[in-house]
Amino acid sequence: MLSNTGNTLIFINIILTLSIIYFSFQFLNKEKRNFGVKKFVELSLYQTTLSLIIFFTLILGFVFSDFSIENVYRNSHTLKPLFYKITGTWGNHEGSLLLWINVLVFFSYLFLLFNKKSNHIFLIYTLLIQNFLILGFLLFLFVNSNPFSLVVPKPLEGLGLNPILQDPALAIHPPLLYVGFVGSSIYFSAAVASLISGLTGSEFAKKIKLWVLISWCFQTLGITLGSIWAYYELGWGGFWFWDPVENSSLMPWFVMTALLHSVMVLEKRNMLYSWVIILCLMTFTLSVTGTFLVRSGILNSVHTFANDPSRGLYILVFLSVMIFFAITIFIKKNKKDHYIFSGYSKETFILANNWFMAFFLFTILVGTVYPIFTEVLTQTKVSVGPPFYNITIIPIVIPFLLLMAIAPNISWIKDRTNNLKKISFLIILSILINSIIFHFFKSMSLISNLIIISSLFLIFYTLSDFFSSYKKKIYLVPSRIVSHLGFGLLIFFIGLNHNFSIEKDFNIKVGEKKSVENFLINFESLNLIEKENYKAIVGTFRVDNKKNLNSNTLSPEIRIYSQPETLTYEASIRTRLSHDLYLTMSNINRTELYNIKFQKKPFMMMIWLSAILISIGGFLRIFKK
Amino acid sequence: MRLIYTFLIFFSFLFFNLFAKDISTKEAEIFKNIRCLICQGQSIADSNSEFSQTLKLVVKDQIKEGKSKEEIYDFLIEKYGEWIVYKPTFSKNFILWLLPYIFLLLGGIVLFLLIKKRENTKTN
Repeated sequence: MLSNTGNTLIFINIILTLSIIYFSFQFLNKEKRNFGVKKFVELSLYQTTLSLIIFFTLILGFVFSDFSIENVYRNSHTLKPLFYKITGTWGNHEGSLLLWINVLVFFSYLFLLFNKKSNHIFLIYTLLIQNFLILGFLLFLFVNSNPFSLVVPKPLEGLGLNPILQDPALAIHPPLLYVGFVGSSIYFSAAVASLISGLTGSEFAKKIKLWVLISWCFQTLGITLGSIWAYYELGWGGFWFWDPVENSSLMPWFVMTALLHSVMVLEKRNMLYSWVIILCLMTFTLSVTGTFLVRSGILNSVHTFANDPSRGLYILVFLSVMIFFAITIFIKKNKKDHYIFSGYSKETFILANNWFMAFFLFTILVGTVYPIFTEVLTQTKVSVGPPFYNITIIPIVIPFLLLMAIAPNISWIKDRTNNLKKISFLIILSILINSIIFHFFKSMSLISNLIIISSLFLIFYTLSDFFSSYKKKIYLVPSRIVSHLGFGLLIFFIGLNHNFSIEKDFNIKVGEKKSVENFLINFESLNLIEKENYKAIVGTFRVDNKKNLNSNTLSPEIRIYSQPETLTYEASIRTRLSHDLYLTMSNINRTELYNIKFQKKPFMMMIWLSAILISIGGFLRIFKK
Repeated sequence: MRLIYTFLIFFSFLFFNLFAKDISTKEAEIFKNIRCLICQGQSIADSNSEFSQTLKLVVKDQIKEGKSKEEIYDFLIEKYGEWIVYKPTFSKNFILWLLPYIFLLLGGIVLFLLIKKRENTKTN
């Protein structure tokens, strides 16, 4: 029943999308135009409603465990808690693609609604291109990745959802990330439309500013949430792993961030038009590329729950057509822009920001695709992991942070103020504080020192900006202050976390004790528990802090899930504002020994909060409008 | 201009970073650089698999024997191939290591020329 409903609705949606494309062409042909923009608003509303209904139909399938739908059969189980039945809808390839389409359609509708009264030619071109994207993904959904495929005969029970995906953070992480990822489609379309309809730079900037901001905010939050999930669920015990999938969510983020800054230049100074267009095109292209790399299974990663080569081929073809089309229009329609500015101006600094963003992006791109090339060209499999990224990227973060501190105060066109005094004072202050940290704890490498100094500099500089403007009662953009402060804090806490973590790996039996630095770990007991959908061995560890006589009980688990049969290791984490205690255990075969990984991770909480602060800055700007 | 000089100085000492041979043998650091071959994208430090347990013991033994970090990596690469280490060796993959910096440098040059050009148009 639901399966047929779903398929029919998708089919109607394809027809509807085709009709929007048809009417767009008619509208753009002046002789045949006999209707207004209102018609498109209506059609888009139908399209949005229909897409939502399709999505809810699939959710219903999951809620009522309709195993005649293959997707439900593969990813759900009657014994699963209702919450995870629902979130399981987008915890798989087909369902998440449906979510993807929903975001595409929703952004299309909102953009139309917000810009009803602006240049109609530009507006309808944007709609047209957006609907080509929608059509592409709808066909992909219908033909290759149909979430409503039938299984005959109807199975009695589902296969269950991968236990590591049964998690609240993971329930909201994909929707957030998709709003960011897929939201970027609207300025892809707008960029192409702007080229065709010949919009001026600052007009274009005003049109896309809000959308860039929205997608950036959600992307930032989505990445943070994914990172939090990986921290406690995968038992990796860190905040970033340079996993190919993480990388492919980070790459569009860098372009978005560059775009966010360049759009300001375009709006205020009417320059960098072509560059902003390129960035717009790149953001969505990279989003689709990331999806291609992840879903095709080309890269080895933790997200390989969703791979299949045939999908990869479709996305690759789609991607190529999209890029080819965009580049052709760009070359044909691009116009040169004239502008004047001096070397020491805000324009220069924003270009420098783009330069750094391009570097970060390029490095991650090279690192991510390099193994594919070596495998094809020389048949050797190479891993490019965290050490590569840490070594190449971290040193460059230092000048980047300094620049980020100074740049926002520089005026447009040419800056004449002299703030050398302030800079030197704050640098000295940062160095002093760094030496205090350095003195009280153990030694750190040169790079670590520089990272901490430069992040402190950014923090102090941003704060002093805030106070001085507050005193002078000048209107100030709080969003910039909050986001830059958040970034400074993020790097600062990452620096501290990196240098002052304690990590120890050892084997131990029940009843034994082990001393790690100033902690004493007692393996007290081992129990077997049985839950609704899994059994677990739970260890009880008492961790005594010898210095302040604090004591914590940690209970890591080894879980055996029944549907599908999987073994997972649950870390036990005690979170404080100042540090996390982190413990995982695993059994060593045919012995009574357990392998324990114990970590003290300083400021994990602060790292998450700082990352959230970055996106709060963006949200502040959205709500001010 | 001053800014650009500062950055150039930065690059110069970045390269030393690349070539410097690290002789410290911190157990955890080595574990983090070794891929668990039977897992999905995890290092042996992060994984709880049997393979990881065994390799951890092997590494611990080799550290006890007084082998350096590089020697341990070489040993593992010979046995399992390049796939096992997360940090690609510089000699075989120098393109990978240098590309980002070449790109950064090129970007810097483009930026520099752009700014210079803008200043010229102003005087014209």
